[in-house]
Amino acid sequence: MKEFIPVGLFGISHHTASVEIREKAALSEVGQKEAIQEITNSFRIDGCFILSTCNRTEVYISSEYVQVELQLIRKWMDTAGQLNCFTDDKITYEKHGADAVEHFFRVISGLDSQIIGERQITGQVRDSYETSHKMNCTDNVLNRLFNFGMQVKRKVYNDTFLSDGTVSVSFAGVELARKIFSDLTDKEVLLIGAGKTAELAAYHFKEKSVRQINVANRTLSKAKKMAKELKGRAFQLNELSEALQQADIVISATSGKSFLLDNTIIKPVSKKRRHKPLFLIDLAIPRDINPEVNHIEGIYLYNLDDLHSIIKVNLEKRKLEIPKAMVIVREYIEEFRQWISTYAISTVIKRLKEHLEIIRIRELERFRKKLPSENIKEIDGLTQSIINKLLRQHIKLLKKNKGNPEQYQQQLDLIQNLYKPDND
Amino acid sequence: MKEISQILSYTLPVLYLAVLFIYYLIFSGKNKTLENKTTLFLFLLLSFHSLEIVLRHVSLHTIPLSSAHDAWSFLAYSILFVYMIIEMSLNNRGSGLFILTLAFFFELISSFYTNWEPETNELLRNPTFAIHASMAITGYTALSLSAVYALMYLLQNRNIKEHRLGNLYTQLPPLMYLESMSIRSVIIGIILLGIGVLLGHLQAQKLIGDFWPNDLKVIITDVIWILYVAGYIISKIQHWNGKKMAWLSVSGFMILIIGGGLIIYFSNSFHRFF
Repeated sequence: MKEFIPVGLFGISHHTASVEIREKAALSEVGQKEAIQEITNSFRIDGCFILSTCNRTEVYISSEYVQVELQLIRKWMDTAGQLNCFTDDKITYEKHGADAVEHFFRVISGLDSQIIGERQITGQVRDSYETSHKMNCTDNVLNRLFNFGMQVKRKVYNDTFLSDGTVSVSFAGVELARKIFSDLTDKEVLLIGAGKTAELAAYHFKEKSVRQINVANRTLSKAKKMAKELKGRAFQLNELSEALQQADIVISATSGKSFLLDNTIIKPVSKKRRHKPLFLIDLAIPRDINPEVNHIEGIYLYNLDDLHSIIKVNLEKRKLEIPKAMVIVREYIEEFRQWISTYAISTVIKRLKEHLEIIRIRELERFRKKLPSENIKEIDGLTQSIINKLLRQHIKLLKKNKGNPEQYQQQLDLIQNLYKPDND
Repeated sequence: MKEISQILSYTLPVLYLAVLFIYYLIFSGKNKTLENKTTLFLFLLLSFHSLEIVLRHVSLHTIPLSSAHDAWSFLAYSILFVYMIIEMSLNNRGSGLFILTLAFFFELISSFYTNWEPETNELLRNPTFAIHASMAITGYTALSLSAVYALMYLLQNRNIKEHRLGNLYTQLPPLMYLESMSIRSVIIGIILLGIGVLLGHLQAQKLIGDFWPNDLKVIITDVIWILYVAGYIISKIQHWNGKKMAWLSVSGFMILIIGGGLIIYFSNSFHRFF
């Protein structure tokens, strides 16, 4: 017989719901805070936090009445948000106990993400948890669940290749540039074309603090406008040879119909540069750069298809790591289960102590007038000592049977039932 | 003590091979958990090798680096030491498999020349000999590392150029880093070997009155050093690109290895003057 894990969740995600439904169900930070407050005040739960991203909205609770309360909260969420998704079992999943723990560990380590192994989700989970924690709406169980989750994430990142290799086209260009130049801070980027594609690619290089980003475009005014934003220089297309001499990385994304760069331009430039490496990224369709230039010494050319194939390979590699990551997840579920077992003893003992203390104080008060006032201190000590001895017997019994899970759980349940607050 | 020293000497190549296998597992992407433990393995191997050097010289009552075994083994030792520093400072294990293969190779060669009789050459009794020898061997270490970095450069250049972005590409360090490490190692190698060679000549002048002794090892080392200096100067004047520089370094290393082989093949002693 396994220990009862008082954790549960329900939610929708990219696995179960379309983007339209996910948009409707998503909660802003203010919305999350209001919902957490309401759930904590109105339902029989000990802790709660809500994870809401573009790919999922999930409500995590800890409660002794997990199943009942989850159903009630689902109804409330639909009513409060004027939705009908959380009560729809086809869209909303609900998990309890070890299944809920496993789900949380999978989410926090990126195993449940749309792009497997993406790291952004860890930060989003942390933010959600901290929002609730600051509102004092998380209990020991959820605090511990989060801590275990962070450990799972760390081990999965460190011991597997689940998050290795880039999976975005524009970032694949940056990664390749780093494999050529190592440090990009002293490198100059030349954008050919002033459209959205070039701008997006430039943004990733700007994030890596390249020294300068220049822009070359058919229309000089557009080049000047973008160059001003990027704090670089503007060139016209007939000045390409000059612009190429200083550049280390070239991103070309024009809408032209023929090759802009070929051997006639690149060969003399490469010679003038003394074959210093030049990384060319051709994001245009049809292509801007003639593939023959890749044969020139020091020239490294990649087009859109090449970048896509890098991503495909990386995604495949990540998929192969899932079994390894799942071994880690299962290992931590077991550790969490063991913690819950120890935590259950301490909770029961605490409850027992409180229960007996209330009886002791109540009885002491009842007989105070009949007792000799000069001996009150001794009587107080005596009653405390009796209670401590009784408690010690209970603790001893629980600890003695910890090796026998079935008997241990039976005794734990018995004590829990005997000393429930409503039994007073 | 001699027995312990002998056991250590014969165990060393096996330990080098074991560490090399760990790097192979990391390089092939089969085990990521070992990545955080490599520095410990390197440190243990280095400590074991240090103990072997000390015990050998205490038990044989000789000064260090007086035999062919000592020279090859110290070359492996210094490569291991330099690599450990590189790995610790850059936190990159991509070059480990290549550099440690070289170290293992030298350690293996050394085990074929294990001699338990101390060298009796007059020159080797001079305490300054150790300084000359260690400078020369450290110079050789730098030149060997330069060749390994150059080889990795050629592989990585081919990977990026031909879009072979597999495991080898992922594990190898960036192209420009490899180029700069290779060139830096050549410069350090030329300087250290130059000092070692000069010290050797001065020592020979002092002890046997001949600045250019008739020793095959001295002749070959001088030729190798001159070739490296000449190659480096030409490459700078001609502004050679990374690929040409890499080939130069690899070719230089081949000459170095062939030279070393010739010395051992033709001379009975490590420093035998004709």
